[in-house]
Order: sequence, then structure tokens, then C-alpha cells
Amino acid sequence: MTQGPVVSVRGLHKTFIQSGPWPWSPRREVHAVQGVDFDVAPGEVVALVGQSGSGKTTVSRIVLGLEEPTRGEIWLNGSRWDGLPESQRRGRRVDYQYVPQDAMGALDPQQTALEHVEETLSVLGGLTRVEAREKGGDMLARLGLGKRLRALPREMSGGEQRRVTLARVLALEPRLVVADEPTSGLDPDRRESVLEALIGNLPSHAGCILVTHDMAEARGWCDRILAMLAGRVIEEVDLKHAEPRHPYARVLFDPWSAPVPRGPLASVGCPFLHDCGLASEGLRGRCASTVPVLAPQDDPRHSVACFAHAGASAAGGGSR
Amino acid sequence: MTALVELRDLCIRAPERALVDGVDVTVMPGRVTALVGPSGAGKSLTARAVMCVLDVAPGLERGELRYPALDPHTDWYEGVRGAGVRAQQALLRRSRSLRGAYLTYSPQAASSALNPGRTIGHQLALAIGRRAEAPTDLSGEIRRILDQVGLAHTASAALPRELSGGMAQRAALAIAVAPKPRLVIADEPETGLDPVLRRAVIELLVDVCRDEGAGLLLISHHASTVRRIADDVVRLRGPDGEEGGA
Repeated sequence: MTQGPVVSVRGLHKTFIQSGPWPWSPRREVHAVQGVDFDVAPGEVVALVGQSGSGKTTVSRIVLGLEEPTRGEIWLNGSRWDGLPESQRRGRRVDYQYVPQDAMGALDPQQTALEHVEETLSVLGGLTRVEAREKGGDMLARLGLGKRLRALPREMSGGEQRRVTLARVLALEPRLVVADEPTSGLDPDRRESVLEALIGNLPSHAGCILVTHDMAEARGWCDRILAMLAGRVIEEVDLKHAEPRHPYARVLFDPWSAPVPRGPLASVGCPFLHDCGLASEGLRGRCASTVPVLAPQDDPRHSVACFAHAGASAAGGGSR
Repeated sequence: MTALVELRDLCIRAPERALVDGVDVTVMPGRVTALVGPSGAGKSLTARAVMCVLDVAPGLERGELRYPALDPHTDWYEGVRGAGVRAQQALLRRSRSLRGAYLTYSPQAASSALNPGRTIGHQLALAIGRRAEAPTDLSGEIRRILDQVGLAHTASAALPRELSGGMAQRAALAIAVAPKPRLVIADEPETGLDPVLRRAVIELLVDVCRDEGAGLLLISHHASTVRRIADDVVRLRGPDGEEGGA
């Protein structure tokens, strides 16, 4: 039997209303997410990459039901998730888990590593204290913390604190894990060990969305990469079979390969217009007026939203 | 050309082991020296030792520190080697006049290093006040520095919380170069930034240092950064002897 996707996102939009510094200041709309579609299959690790402000954290929060979309649909394991009242979501939340960026802020300073996992398993997982203690100890041992069960957060290194937050999530055997920059601020060798702990211990039926700034992480650990710019996915690629083609995605993966984008992002047409080296004279009019949408390349798992790459088409009517 | 700093055979001990052992660092004017190595190799400890900041017990065991461009003969570690924490604290007080004027430090987390209650302009004015010669036109000088780091003049009136992460990093950089130091020490200035911003901040740091003829001691984890911008590289070994990192 073929399993359906763990997550399906369709036509996702999110607009925030930003107030000014004073009560009488004019309010403005911030279009954080503008038409995002993607699926995450069981066992698949998908990276959301992009610069700060590109909308990747907003997408991940909407998927978990921590924000409501302005438009669009979220389906989790075949059931509609957006718009549900919290009373209907609560029972299912245990299957959809979040790994925060700030591990120290997410841990109770007075609880040991084992108490963190044990409490999660007994409160959310419905296990007895004895079962929770045994299972929690096993999970911490799998993540290399077998000798640190009684350590308090302040006695742990940054990498160990993050592995406790991972143990707490993975012990629940979730169907989806959304990790928002779980290795931010760690040294390269500790980053590797945290990702190994996360991805190496994901249940086989689970999908994972990894929000990251680190392109080496995305390349090394993820099955598919969604590169975001100005609230849109501008490239979807499996780096084991193809290299990024969108000029912005190429800058993200090798920032030293081209001049630093100076911006600002274009508000009409392709957002990368001002910094794009590919928009030839023939294309420039089209790039300046119309937003390109994802178009499949030679490999069906590879799509690029750029008119300079054959097959790209225009967004359904949006010229913003 | 006279070196800005010469650190020889640095050895700092904690009770159970040597934290750094046998490290040499030289920084020349207008050049970039990168300090690389795996976690726990003592990169930040070495950078702080270059600023005469030693805060480990028992602490400095061996080493000589000179600022040849300032005074080729004075060994700042004289009387501190093997003398314990009190001697290290005395060195910290004695070297106070160096920090801010001869050398400045650009920290890892820019937003937490800025004073949350003071505008960027006020903090820049304080940093400019560390110069040996005060500029005749302080507000003009503030505008020049803001231009240099790519911030709008309106940033002068902004509080740190009103700046984005990249702008806060630029403001911290502006404050680090405002006293016109001869040597800038930057401890992973790109931490937490996205790849594009990371390159922009590093390029800016290097350009500003080269414009001013200052030397730069840069701690970085990113091999691509070090490969592109460093003139000299100092590699530190980790606690297990490995040479990982950048």
C-alpha cells in the first residue's frame, strides 16, 4: 500500500498586519507567504532554506498550526488541519512535533535530562511514570546521553541541550518533526552530531521539515530542498541528482560565486530582478512584469521559478 | 612593516589540562589573520589573550605578548606567567587603555552586545570618544561611519531593538571601527546570519579594516570565508589533537 504524504500544503498565503510605532501610525500589510505548495512524504527530510525574512519559519509554524494561514490549505496525513478549532487539534498535536532553535529557553532549568523526556512521555504520550522513565532513558542513550541522565540544562553543552530537546520529541514517535534551525550557534562538528541524532532516529513513518541557514546541512542531510525568496518557493531540488539553477538559489548555496545581492527585492515581477545576472534583454520585460512560477526541469523532482530556464511559466494572474 | 601584535608560545592551563599550548599569532597592518580550529581548541581564549584578557585559573603558564607597532620592547605578560589570577587581573587593569583605542573587539552576538537603552548614534559617539584625537565635527563623523558600513543616517536615532539582525551586526561593526583602532578582533561575526548576509558582513569588515589600514584577527568556522579572505591562517588543535573546523 502506498502511503500518502505526511504534509500537503496547497496555495498557502499569510499576510501580517504591521502596526507603526505610534497608535495613529498607518498600518501596512506584510505578505510573508505568497502561494506555497509542497508535500512531505513519510521518511522524507525536506529542507526549507532562504535568507532571514523569506518566510520559511512562517510556513513551518503554519504547518504545525501555530499560525493560521490567510489563504490556502494544510493537510496532515490526509486530514484537513487548517481552520480546525484547538479542541479538535489538541489530540493530534502529539504526532506533529516542533524542535525549537533556542534549546536552553525550551528546557526547564530545574529538571534533569531524564525528567524532561519522562514528563513529556507521561503527559503527552500517556505512559506510566515507570514506562516513561525506561523509554526516556533508552531514547537519551540512543542520542549519546546515556551518562548524562541526571545532568541539569546548565551543566550541559549546547549540543547536549539540543539533544535533550530532540529526545523529548523523538520519544513520542511523531509523524512529523519540524526543526527550526536546530543547530544554530553550534560549531560545525556539534552541528553534525545534532543532525545525526535527529535524522538518524526519526521513526520510519515520519517526515521532517528542517528550516536551516546552513546549506552544507541541507545538502548533506536532506532528500529535497525548497529554496524560498520573498514568501515564495523559487526552486525545489534534490541535490543528489541536480544542482540549483535559480540565480538566487545559486547565491544561497555559494555566496562567494557572484556579487552579493544588493536588493531591494522587486515588488512587481520577479523579486530577484534587480540582482539577477540571467535576465537577458529579451527576457527583462517579462521578468519585470510577471512573477515566474515553479516549472519542472529535466528531472521531475526539480522545478525552478525563473523565465531564463526553459519551461517556466507565469503566476496565475498575479503580477505583484 | 611592523606587526600590530606578536603572541609567542601561548600556554594557558585549566586545573586538569592545557587549554591552549604553544600558539603563535602575528597580525600585520592591513592584513587578515584567521584563527581556526575545532570546538574547544581555544580560539576565543587565544583572541582574548591577545587583548590581555585572561580569566582562567591557574591561567597563563608560558607566552610573550608584544604590540610592536606601539612598543617593540614591552612584553605585556611579564610578571603574569605562572603568577595566578591576581596577576592576570592586574594585567587586565593595566591594559585598559589599549582596548578601544589600539584594538577593538567585535563580538559574536551583535544584538546582545549593543546597549539596548542607547541610540546607535549615542553609542557611536562614545566609541569615537576613545580616539586619541577627537574629530571636529562629531555628527559628520557619525554619518561617515554609518555610510561606511552601509547604514542609513536615520539609524543614528534608532534603538538596537528597531534594527534587523543584519543591521544590528553592521551597527556593532561600526562601533568596533569608530575609535579608529589599529587592530580589530572579530569573534565569529557571521554567527546566526544567513549565507548572503554572512558574506556581506565579512566583506564589509575586511573592506573597512583595509580602508583604515587596520589589521583583522578573525575567528571563523566557515571554511569558505577563511579561504576567500584570510591572508594568514593560524590553526589550533582540538582537545583530542584533531585539526577540524574551517
